[in-house]
Amino acid sequence: MSVTSSAVKGDGNRCSRSCYNCPSCTSPLQITHVSHRDEGLLKPNDAAGDDETYVLQCQFCDWSSLEIDVRFSKPTKITEQLAKQQKTRTSSTHSTTASNQKPLDHDEKFTNLVSFYKDQLNDSGDPQNPYSNSPHNSPANLARIMSLYGGLSYNALKKTREKPQPMREALGTPEGFVSFHADRSDSELIRRSQASGWDGTITSEQQDSAPSNYDSRFNGELWPSATQLRTKRAKRCKTCRHIIARPEPNVGNMRYKIRLLAMNYIPRLMLKSLHSATPLANPAFLLKPGMPQADDLQPHKAQQYILTVKNALFETVKISLATPATTPGKVASRVTILCPSFTVGPAGEVWDEALSASNEPNSDGDRKAAMASLTGSSESSERQPEAGKIWEKTRNSTSIIVEIVPGALQPPPSIVPKTEQQLTDEELGEDDDVLEVPVYVRAEWEAEIKPGETVQAKKDANAMPGEKVSKEIGYWVVLAAGRIAG
Amino acid sequence: MSRPAGSTARRSVKTEYIETDTGNKISRRAFIEGKQNIMLGGKTVIMAGVHLRGDLCRKPERVAEGEKEKPNTTAVSIGRATVVSTNTVIRPPMRLHKGQMTFIPMRIGDNVFIGPNAHISSASISSHVYIGENAVLSPLCIVKEGSKILPNTVVPPGMTVPAGTVVGGRPARILGEVGDGWGQGGGVEVEDWVEGGDLRPLVRSIK
Repeated sequence: MSVTSSAVKGDGNRCSRSCYNCPSCTSPLQITHVSHRDEGLLKPNDAAGDDETYVLQCQFCDWSSLEIDVRFSKPTKITEQLAKQQKTRTSSTHSTTASNQKPLDHDEKFTNLVSFYKDQLNDSGDPQNPYSNSPHNSPANLARIMSLYGGLSYNALKKTREKPQPMREALGTPEGFVSFHADRSDSELIRRSQASGWDGTITSEQQDSAPSNYDSRFNGELWPSATQLRTKRAKRCKTCRHIIARPEPNVGNMRYKIRLLAMNYIPRLMLKSLHSATPLANPAFLLKPGMPQADDLQPHKAQQYILTVKNALFETVKISLATPATTPGKVASRVTILCPSFTVGPAGEVWDEALSASNEPNSDGDRKAAMASLTGSSESSERQPEAGKIWEKTRNSTSIIVEIVPGALQPPPSIVPKTEQQLTDEELGEDDDVLEVPVYVRAEWEAEIKPGETVQAKKDANAMPGEKVSKEIGYWVVLAAGRIAG
Repeated sequence: MSRPAGSTARRSVKTEYIETDTGNKISRRAFIEGKQNIMLGGKTVIMAGVHLRGDLCRKPERVAEGEKEKPNTTAVSIGRATVVSTNTVIRPPMRLHKGQMTFIPMRIGDNVFIGPNAHISSASISSHVYIGENAVLSPLCIVKEGSKILPNTVVPPGMTVPAGTVVGGRPARILGEVGDGWGQGGGVEVEDWVEGGDLRPLVRSIK
């Protein structure tokens, strides 16, 4: 459920209409009509009076409000009806166990405390100002006016004459004070949980689903939780407080008023295999189940990849790449970047790009690759990657070669028997076989200062608009090459 | 369009997909029932083994005398550049309405990606939604714009997946939000399409 942020400030963060979630499995509950006949089958004696009965039912796990014995007389205003039933439930338990002072529930305690302290604040409030509740905020003026018109009322005068009492703390249950009882049916709880076992108790997640369930411990005690509401948020930069993303306020519209994406300001990296004609399949767009198994990586077999760095800025950027010699994680693969520092040309307008793409002979690279795969021999297979050389360069992107030797999933067998600790260390977790290469990218470029722009770096503080300043940015990226075959 | 499963052997003269005038690509191996009740927006791909149940539509109401009988109702309408991957089942949901079980027409928006082996029975799916493989969208759930349903998720009946959220699990819970750059940055290169973005390059690549 999405609402505007002002609505949440006013009405709280839970739905106050009829939206409830299953306390057992979090699915939305549906208001279901329980027909008279069904009721008759279940309870032949009670059902005589009710014609219309509704229950909240979960269609996923089959939980229904009958489990806590809650029925509704009409399908609307569920929140109201539920609150009423909850209140009668708690008050009836109080009346039955009134003799041994059953503690009130949290909400009641809180309301008692709040009303008590409000009274206390009122009583011990500023004794100099009997008109503390008046909208005029100048007591001296007000007192003068009031004396002109006949002075204070009897009650107010009495109040001023009374000595102001010092504020005191809550004392008894009606004032919201509850002391801790050590004998509070703990033994009974232990006995019950022993009897019901693990299945009869609820999880802490279920307890946290709604404030009414904080004290619940057993399966049959969960009340439905009102659906939590969502709003949209704007995001600001941590250092300069500039708004980075600001969504449009209307609900359900996914457009943005302001959206500054890092993608448009930092160089982008793309990895594809050098030898296979097909690019690395995007694992997100699996069209058939089991598609990626075809190009699993063979351990200890060196693979060469083309790493393309694409510039999004309008200046020429100097890039330095750094990577650990072996990848971190359980499966260590060796990584070599053959040309770790190079320059990338500036990005142009979209129009320039389209023009240059049509002129460039490289634009039909796909066709060439397809031809190469058909004929078996091509210039790309003849060309050998060289250390320190750029593989390919276009106007705003530069490609280099990265060599990766995937590590083995199974460690080499050893003669010395391994300890249990070593064996558990060697066990692979989920997705440990994915070959991911962390790369640190450092980009440096010279930028012109635009008029009105403030310069952050101290050494450039006296730079004038129109002058060039050097800027740099450094960040980590992770390149995923694929899964290593077991 | 629907053919028995036996005749799936591809001959070299026949292509895998039949392309319509509006650029829809429909696999010859898809199972499509009641095609007069199915609307495809254009540039939409229906892959092999997909079951499209257009026959499950609302029965036409009794027409009063003198009135013209309405043309057949739509059971499934799919927008533009939506990809329905292999072995997905799309089945309009039904519910009790005035004492009768009737089928609710299903709407799927533009640029929706539905992964393989999914089971879709939702009331509506908005645009730019990504649905992972093996997902189950139970009857009458509503998926709002730009949301992502992780693989192997079961969306419970009647759930509304809010716009721009990531849901997962059985039953589905809201696990987070998609980034502010959801769907942005695609179209740089042919192979570089992104989740929730423009799926036209992906559609073009499917042959």
